[in-house]
Formats: sequence, C-alpha cells, structure tokens
Amino acid sequence: MRCELKCLSWLALTFTVLAPSLASAHPAEQALILLLPTELYTLGGTIAVVASIFLISFTSHDSLQRIYRGYIFATWPAAQKAPLITSILATFAFFLLIIVGINGPNDPQSNLLPQVIWTGWWVGLFVIQGLFADLWRWLNPWSGLAAVLLADRPAVLRYPNCLGAWPALGLFVVFQMFLLADIAPSDPDRLATIALLYWLFTFAGMVLFGPVIWTRNVECFSVLFALIGSLRPVQTSKAMRLGLPGWNSLSKAPLPTAQSMICLTVLVSGSFDGLHETFWWLGQIGINPLAFPGRSAVVWPSIIGLIAANIAVTLVFGACIWAGISLARRFGTLGRVSLVQAFNTYAIAILPIALGYHFAHYFVSFLVQIQYLASTLGDPLARGWNLFGLGNLRVTTGFLNSTTTVKPILLINVGVVVCSHIISIAMAHWLSGRFSAARRDLILIQFFLSILMVCYTIFGLWLLSTPRGV
Amino acid sequence: MSNGTSKKTDFSRRSALKGIAATTLAATALPRFVQAQSASPIKIGFQKHATGIGAAYGRWYDATTQAAVKRINDDGGINGRPVEIVIEDDGTDPKRGAEVLEKFANQHKVDVAFGTLFSHVVIGSAPRAGELKLPYFVVSEGHHVASGMLNRYTLQPGITDVKSQVQSMAPFVAANLGKKVTMIYPDFAFGHDHRDFFSKAIEAQGGQVVAQIAIPPSETSFTRYFPSIPRETDVVYHVMVGPAVLTFVKELGEFFGPSRPEIFGFIDSLEAVDITSPGLEFLEGTYFWEGMPRHAQAENSVFDTAYRAAVGVDERGASLSDSKDVSTYAHMFGCWETLNVIKAGMESADYKGPDDRAKLIEAVEAMSEMPHSMDHPQGPKLFNGKTHQVFGQQYISKVDGGTLKVEHTASIEDGMYEDEVDYTAQSF
Repeated sequence: MRCELKCLSWLALTFTVLAPSLASAHPAEQALILLLPTELYTLGGTIAVVASIFLISFTSHDSLQRIYRGYIFATWPAAQKAPLITSILATFAFFLLIIVGINGPNDPQSNLLPQVIWTGWWVGLFVIQGLFADLWRWLNPWSGLAAVLLADRPAVLRYPNCLGAWPALGLFVVFQMFLLADIAPSDPDRLATIALLYWLFTFAGMVLFGPVIWTRNVECFSVLFALIGSLRPVQTSKAMRLGLPGWNSLSKAPLPTAQSMICLTVLVSGSFDGLHETFWWLGQIGINPLAFPGRSAVVWPSIIGLIAANIAVTLVFGACIWAGISLARRFGTLGRVSLVQAFNTYAIAILPIALGYHFAHYFVSFLVQIQYLASTLGDPLARGWNLFGLGNLRVTTGFLNSTTTVKPILLINVGVVVCSHIISIAMAHWLSGRFSAARRDLILIQFFLSILMVCYTIFGLWLLSTPRGV
Repeated sequence: MSNGTSKKTDFSRRSALKGIAATTLAATALPRFVQAQSASPIKIGFQKHATGIGAAYGRWYDATTQAAVKRINDDGGINGRPVEIVIEDDGTDPKRGAEVLEKFANQHKVDVAFGTLFSHVVIGSAPRAGELKLPYFVVSEGHHVASGMLNRYTLQPGITDVKSQVQSMAPFVAANLGKKVTMIYPDFAFGHDHRDFFSKAIEAQGGQVVAQIAIPPSETSFTRYFPSIPRETDVVYHVMVGPAVLTFVKELGEFFGPSRPEIFGFIDSLEAVDITSPGLEFLEGTYFWEGMPRHAQAENSVFDTAYRAAVGVDERGASLSDSKDVSTYAHMFGCWETLNVIKAGMESADYKGPDDRAKLIEAVEAMSEMPHSMDHPQGPKLFNGKTHQVFGQQYISKVDGGTLKVEHTASIEDGMYEDEVDYTAQSF
C-alpha cells in the first residue's frame, strides 16, 4: 500500500540527484511553483518574444550587421602551450577520477566521479563554455596528450571524408540515451567503465586517424563544445573580441549538415529531457504520474521518445524553412535558395535556445548538486578529510521550501529561456541576410520560423511550470 | 558527504570504500575495536534511494542511518565488532534494487541488507533477497510484508505498515471529529487502499463514509470536485499526494472559507515540506497522522530529544544547519530502530557471519516487545515474528499556530489485525 504510499508521498519525493535525474525538482519547489501565477509569466515571456520578432524584423540589416561583430578589447592572443599543459593535467585528473569511481564510495552522492561528470562537466562546463570561457580547450583530457604523443606522427588510417561529423552526431545521440534512459547512469562503477571506454575509444581514434580529424568529426563533445563555445560574447584568437552573444557563431553558417543536426539534437534532447518528466508525457505512455515505477520501466519509451522528438522537430524546423522560402519566392523577390543550404544556415541560430534550455533545465538541481560536489571535494578519497573546510559542508534543499527563493529561481529560468529565444531570433534575422537584402524577403522567409520560435517559447515556459512525475 | 544534515563520519565514509581490506579499515577508523578485539566489521548493505523519486527520503534515511551506526559503534558495535554501512544507490527502481542486492551479496559480501523505503523497490528486490538467502530488513511501511507476498528473508521490524496506521486512526476520528466521513483520495492503488482500510475501520467504530471522491492522478486543480462533498460531512479525510498537494489544500480552504468540517490527513502528503509554507494556512486546526511527531512536544521524551540531536534535526524536524530544510521525520526513525533490531538480533543469535543468517532471522522472529527506549525512540513496539511486521503507536497531531501538536496517541492494539501469513512456516 504505501508502495503505494511511498511511491506517492510525492511531496517528499522527487528531487533527483545527478544529471540523469538532475532535472527533477524538489517536490516542495514544484508545489510552490504551482501556486505562482505561471500563466502570467508564460504570457509575459511570449509577448516579449513576439515583440522582439517585430522589433528585429524592422531593424535594418545593416544595423544588425554593425551590431553583430566582435570588437577588440584586449590584444592578448589565445594561449597556445598552457592549454596543452592543463589538458595533460586534466588527463591525470580524469584517470584519478576513474580510480575514485571504481574504488571510491558506491553512493553517487559521495563519489567524486559522478559529481564531476554530471554536475561539474555536463551541467557546469556546458554553460560556462557557452557564456564565459573556452574551458574545454583547457580541460580536454585528450588534446594535451595527443599534442605530445601524436604531434608529428602521421595518421595510420585515412578518415572517410564522406562520413563528416555524422559519427559525432551518432555518439551524441547515444550519450543522450544513456543520460535519459539508462537505469543507473550515476552508478560510479558503471560510469567509470563507460567513461574509460569512451576515453580509450577516442584516443585510439586519434592515433588511427589523427587527433584533429577525430576531434572535428567523431569526438562528439569537442564538436558540441566548439559549437556552443561559439556563442560566447568574448572570443579569443589573435586578440580578445567582445560582441553580442552569438556574434562569432554567425561566421560558421552554413554548417555541414551533420553539425546542423547536432545543433538541433542538443536542443531537442534537452527539451525532451524536460518533457519526459512531465505529467503529460507520463500520461502518454500510460504511467501514473504519482507512482513513477522507476527508470527501468520506461527505458524504451524514453529512447523511442527521444528519437521521435528529434525526428519530429527536425522535420518541423525544415518544413518551416521550406515554407518560408516558398513564401518569400511567391510574394517577395527571393531568388533560388536550396532547402539544405537554408537549413544549414539557420541551424546555428538554434544554439542559444539549446543553451538556455540546458541552463533552465538543470539550474535548480545544480544549486543542490554543487553542494554535494563541494563537500565531496573536501574529502575526495573518502578518508574523512576536511580539505578547504569543505568536508563539513552540510547540503541543504531548504531554499526550495520557500516562495521567497523559489520564485526568483523560477523567474531567472523564465528570463533565460526568453532571452535565449530573442538571441536566436536576432541571429536568424542576421542570417536571413545571406539570402536577400530586401526587408520584405527577410520577413517572409522567417515567417514560419518565427511562429515556430513563439511556439517553442510557450513550450519552454510551460516546461518550467508544469508538474513533473519523475 | 552523503546527506544534507550531518557530515558523513570518517568511519562511514571509509566504510563505503571498496577494495580496501576490512582490517585496514578498522585499523584506521576504529582503533578501539582493533586494539580490543581485532574484529572485522559487520557489513550492512544500505539500499539507498540516492537518486530517483525517492531521493528526498533517501537523503534523510542516510542521515538517520549514519547517526544510528555511530551510536552503535560508540557503544561497542555488535558482538564486539564495528558496524560498517555499505551504500548502493538503487535509483528508486525495482530492477536496480534487485541488482543492488546482488552486489551486496556477491561483491561486497555484506551480512544483511537494509533500508529500502519505496514499496515497488521492496517488491522488486525481495525475491532476489530470498534467492540470495540475504536477510533483507526493509523500512517501507508497505503492507506487502505482512500480507504474505514476500518471503522469510524479508522483515520489517522498525516501522509499522500502512494498514495498521490507517486502521488505528478510526477510533479517534469517530470519537472526536465525527462519524460521517468524506474521503478524498487519488484514484489509484494507494488511494484505494486508504479507502478500503479506512472505510472498514470507521464502520467498526459506528461511523460511515458518506462520500468517496476519487481524484485522477494527473489532476492539478481540484475545485470542481469539492461540490461533491455532502453537506452532512463531519470530517474530510484526505490523502492527496503529488506536486499539486499545496494547490489542493489552498483550493479546499478557499472552497470552505471560515466554516468547514473537520479535516484529517496523512503527513505523507507534506513530508519534508514546511508546514508554514504559503498556501498551507488553511491547515491550521486540521489533523494529521504522524509516524513520529515532527515537532518536539511540550513534554518531549528524552529519547526523542536525544534522537533529534543524534540525527541533526531541530525541534521542528528541520536540519540543524538550515531551518528551512525539513526532514522526513515521520518515517526516518524506521532506519534507526531497524538497525537496533538488527543489532539485538545478531547479539541474540551470537551472529558470527553469513552462515548464521538463518539464526539471525529466527532470533528476530522470536522478538516481541520492544520498549520505548533509545533503541526505539518513536515509542514502544510489538513485533509479530510470524508476519515479520512490527506494530507500534501512531500519533494524531493538530496544527496549532503552525505547530503540529500531538492530540492523541493511538495504542499498539488499535493497529493490530489478524495474521495474514506465517513466514516461520517457510523453510530457509
């Protein structure tokens, strides 16, 4: 009965822990959110996005061109050797983590490996990479070693160019499946094994095909973080340049199709991660949202849902672009534009939304999990140490028990989701200039894409406030 | 650190390490045992809901477990041997739960397994415990143990089951709140169990359930159901659960306004939730079942006071380091008491190692009275060796000025029912 009971004591239940579960909110937080006027937040956010569409549509393309560029604000060039040194240190750290994963505590809340991988890397580094700094360049666990061992060594095999970055897309989808559907993705043993195998697989690929080729086409996280990293306002190469978020991404368009698909997959997978926890989704797959039976009961629905969501959104995205082109050709002066070319041009504009959703999806759990990470860092080898005074840190979820803190957290998430859409809209408008200079064409070609953006805004804001059962 | 309320002790941290010889562990963590007895630790596998929907409970079950083990070890351990907790995360998943039991038995070589809360995990894991011949001490409140659906290796000696809890509420409700009851419950097995157990129990007290309002589990707004509450209703019995519970309470308050029938509910709905949360004002003056009173009472027992200090919660059941961080106080005592039962059982059976597992189960089965004590701070208990289920007092508290004040303590006898199984008749 209280299987029943327990399965249900909802208010005390959820609030999962590590990334796979990270997204689940504390029950009290969810309950408090349901008492807030979330419809008004959704309405306000949607109006802001619609208004931004109008505003940006009537902004001259020249103005947007001027705005969307990087301005040099420091002449420091990007460091060349230091990242290789830190990368080698990161490799050592990685293997230490693997050892801790295998030999450390079995409780994922006390083991440094799942804490670092899911909280530090997948949530934290992802966001930092997209907003503040190219951390991946400094912490990549292969690049330094490859530079030392493989620098002057010719590749053993020739990478089939026809494959492009499609292997990276495939690996990223597999990673998302592990994240969403595996029954114990935080288990230290399991995670250590998988992380080690992936490291070996990647390094072997670098040895066989060359590190640059492999990193650009197969190592999905390098591909992902390069794309996400292009969004940063501050970019460093020969000098440090500052611009609006995404200014550097625009030069990457049009992307190779595989990379375009990765952009969409990042967004859709993150969105589906949120969706698959909702009452709505659980209702679709016949699960009582008040008695979630465990991840093992929904492995296939999660996998199939993830794939179906990716296919569906890709088709809708493509259809909106096709319809926009058709509209602009029929009622405007747009010349011939291929669907693939337009698809690959606009795909990069999806990335801000993907980053915004990633932030909003994990923000609450990150605030809890970072405490676990900090306390585990205070005693990384489970020896009862108290390094940096962190060993005595007491994790709390009390801030999720009060409207005083829950409301601003929700509003931050709403703000992030709305801003990410506005940035995407501005980028899409800039990119439309690749096809035509006429304002009428620019508006028409983006017409359906704009509707899609508005719909996705509503969906994203709904995700933040709808009850969850996982 | 494994939980939010108390720093994992040096010992417990170490206990989770694998691949390090037990003697080395004992030598570094528990020199007292080594010097005195050269004893290897007794390993207890803790099946923890570290992730998944049970994580809020798992965090506090962990805190309680660590505190209980510290006390046991400070008092000399079990049979002179230190206790070592080996934690594995079951993800609040039945399949993973069974895998975890296999790891306990085959990889960690634990003596017993313990701690599981969510009943679907218990039901998914217990058969494997039986196959592995691993004593499995659960803390789930489920009636599945006493109903006979599990096996001789699965016991619940530290917390009462829900059938007993619901049944023992009826005498107080009928005598003090009214005899005409409207039940509002979620429309699935959990709610149905409450409906069936309580309807029968209130009728035995001369009462009557005048309406049964089943709410679809996916519902998040409830106002349209309230007109179905008959005017003659003396008491509304609610067991709503889920993220919409606060909404339910708020809408119920708005519906009734200042004149309302008596309201009775189970604290499970609000476990780990601050009773003074916005929207819960309407709960003022209403009644709750509590497994163990969350708020310290005016005449608190010395055992409860000491237990709070050991686990690291204050007089309102919240973390000592954050008064907003409310514990799962009504349930987590089960971990403390279960570990003390394991200790008593092992000492009674003169437990030496896995070969004595059957003797341990027989020793626990032979237990009956468990007096209110530091080992059993929730209250006195009576263990039924045949059904592997413990029976105990239940508490009915009234919200008074934002504090849960105990109005009635249901006796052990109020929660007793006919045996539904005799596990002792099963072979090992």
